[in-house]
Amino acid sequence: MNLFTQAIFSGLTSGAVYALLAVGLVIAYRTTRVVNLAHGESYAIAGTVISLLDHAQVPLPLAMAAGIAAAMLFLWGLDRVILRPRSHWPVGSLILVTLGVAFLSRGVLMLAAGVDPLSFARILSARPVRLFGGIIARQAILLIVVSAVAAIIIGYFLARTRFGRQLRATAEHPEAAQLMGVNVHATRAVAFLLAGALGGLAAALLVPLVPVDFQAGLGMTLRGFIAAALAGMAPGASVICGFLLGLFEAFVTTYGGALASDPVVFLVLIAAALWRSRAIRFEGRARA
Amino acid sequence: MKRLFLNNWCGSRLILAGVLAAISLSVAAADPYTIGMIVPTTGVMATVGSRQLATVQWWEGEVNAKGGIKGRLIHLITCNDEANPEKAVSCVRDLLAKGAVLLINSSVTGPIRATMPLIKNGPVMVTPSPNVLPEPNTYVFQTSPSDRDLTRALVEYLHKSKVDRIGVIAATDASGEVGVATVKSLLPAESIQYNLARIDLRATDASIQLAQVARSDVRLIYSTYSGGGAATVVKSFNNLGLEQPLVVSYANISDAFIALIKNDMPRRLLGLGLKGVVPELVTDATDRAHLESFAAAYKKFKGEPIDLLNLNALNLVDTIEAILRDGPDPADAPAVKAWLEKTPIRSFQTLRFSPTSHVGMNETHAAILEYVGGRWIPAAPMQ
Repeated sequence: MNLFTQAIFSGLTSGAVYALLAVGLVIAYRTTRVVNLAHGESYAIAGTVISLLDHAQVPLPLAMAAGIAAAMLFLWGLDRVILRPRSHWPVGSLILVTLGVAFLSRGVLMLAAGVDPLSFARILSARPVRLFGGIIARQAILLIVVSAVAAIIIGYFLARTRFGRQLRATAEHPEAAQLMGVNVHATRAVAFLLAGALGGLAAALLVPLVPVDFQAGLGMTLRGFIAAALAGMAPGASVICGFLLGLFEAFVTTYGGALASDPVVFLVLIAAALWRSRAIRFEGRARA
Repeated sequence: MKRLFLNNWCGSRLILAGVLAAISLSVAAADPYTIGMIVPTTGVMATVGSRQLATVQWWEGEVNAKGGIKGRLIHLITCNDEANPEKAVSCVRDLLAKGAVLLINSSVTGPIRATMPLIKNGPVMVTPSPNVLPEPNTYVFQTSPSDRDLTRALVEYLHKSKVDRIGVIAATDASGEVGVATVKSLLPAESIQYNLARIDLRATDASIQLAQVARSDVRLIYSTYSGGGAATVVKSFNNLGLEQPLVVSYANISDAFIALIKNDMPRRLLGLGLKGVVPELVTDATDRAHLESFAAAYKKFKGEPIDLLNLNALNLVDTIEAILRDGPDPADAPAVKAWLEKTPIRSFQTLRFSPTSHVGMNETHAAILEYVGGRWIPAAPMQ
C-alpha cells in the first residue's frame, strides 16, 4: 500500500466532514455572530437517531431522513427557544449558553441511547476502490463528493442568491436588515435549519465508517470550528480549510506518528490564529 | 365486641411485625459492608465500565436478597471516573471518606495506576485490568491474566499457525504503552517480527495505521486498542478490504463491541480472551456450574447474555464475596492481604494470588477465540 496515497484518501475523508461541519457553523455564525458550540450535537443527534432507527429495522433511507430532520429540529429549536429570546445578551454569554445546551444534549443522548457507541450500515458497501496504490471505501468517496457538492451549493447560495444576501445583511445589522424588509427571524431560522441539515448529512455519511456516541458532538464542533476559524468564518474558505485540515492531520499522522498529531496540528492552529489576529489588528493589512 | 377484638388482635400483630421489621432493618442498615467501585460509565471506556457495573449491581442485589453476608447487607457506592486519572483519584478519596472497606477498580490502566498510591495503607482494591501488575507489597490485586500472559497465548497461536510477522495497532494511552512494551519484549524473543503503528484514542480513522502495518508479508493484525473506540480499527480494516485475520484485545470480547462492528466484520475476527467465555473450555465441574448459573441469573437480571466484561466483573465480586464470607475483617487490610495471598478464590476459573504475585490468573486461563456464527469459539490455527 502506498502510504502517501493512503494519507490523501484518509485526509480527504476526514476533511469532508470538517468541511460540512465548518460550513454549518459559519452559516449560523453569520446570522447571529454567535459561535454555536452545540453545532456538533446536530451530528451526534442525527447519528444516534439513524442508528437507533436502523436497529429498530426502519428502512435506512427513512432512518436517515428522520435523523437529518432531528438535527435540523434541534438547531432550529436552539435558535427559536434559547438564542432568539436572548438576542440582547452579550455574544460571549450566548456562546456559553450554547455550550450549556451541548452538555444538556449529551446528557439527553446518554439517557436515550446509552453509553455504547452506535453505528449503522453504509449506503455503499461494495468492495473498496484501489487507486494509485491506495485503498478507499466507496462510502468514503460518497462522503467526499457529497460534502464538496453540498459545500459548493451552500457557498453559491450564500454568495449569489437574494436569500444569501439577506443572511449576510441579518448578520451585519439585523435592525437595518429588518427596516429593509428582511424577515430577520425567518432568515435566522432557515440558517439554523441549513446548519442542522449539514450536521445531519455529515452523520449520515460518516457514522457507518466511524461510530458515534453521546459525547461525539463537542469533538465535532471543535474540528468544524478549527476549519472555520482558519477560514476567517467565511463559508467558501471553510470548505477549503476543512479539506486542508484533514489532509494536514493525515500527513502528520503518517509521517510524524499519532503521538505527534495533536501537538503539531494545534501548533499550526495557534500560529494561524496569531497570524489572523495580526491582520485584524492592522485592519486587514499585514504589518510590513 | 368480637369485631373489636379482631381489630385489636390484627392491629397488634401488624404493629409487632412492623416493629420487628424495623428492628431487623435497622440492624442490617446500621452495619452494612460498604464496597466502593471506581468505574467509567461515560467516556471512551463506558462500554467496558457499564457492563462491569451492571454485574456488580446484580451481585449486590443477589446477596442482599438472601439477607446479606454474615447478616450484613452489601452497600455498593460507585464513582464514575470517566477513565480519567484525576477523576479516579477524586473517586477513591470520596469512596474512602464514605467508609468503603474494600474497593473495586474497573477503570483502565492510567486511572488505576493513579489511584494505587492512595491505598498504600489499605483498603484492599481489586481490579480486572491485565495491564496492571501490582507489586506484592501493595494492597492491589489483579484478577485477570497479565497482558504478557495474554500475549503469550497469542504467541502460542502464532507458532501453531506458523506466522512469523504480524502488524500491531496500539493506542497512545497508558494501556497502549503496556501493549507496546509487551510486544517489544516478547515477540522478538519468540522469533516473531512485528510492524507497529500507534493510534490516538479520539481518532476517527485507522486506515493510515493499518496501511503502515499491513504489508504483504503480514499474515495477521493485532489491535491492542480497548473500548468502543477500537471499532474504528475494525471499520477501517473493512474499509481497506484487508484479508488477514484481525485479533482484538481482551476488553473487546463483548456483545456491545460485536453489535458495533456487525456491518464491518473482518473475514476472521479473533480475540484475546479467557477460557470462561467458552463454557466447554472450563473443565472443572464446579467452576462450570458457577459460570452457567451466573449466565442464567444475569440474563434474568439484565435480559442479556454474558460476555467477557461480565466475567471480569464476576471475578471481582467473587473475590470480594470470598473475603467477606471466609476472610478476616475486611477493614483489616494487612490481614485481608495475607489471606488473599494464601487462599485460592473460586470463580468461573480459580484465582490464585501469592505473596510474590498479586495477579490471579496466568496464560493457562487465556485463550485465543474466534467469533463465528454469533458466538465465540476456540480459534483454529491459520492455514
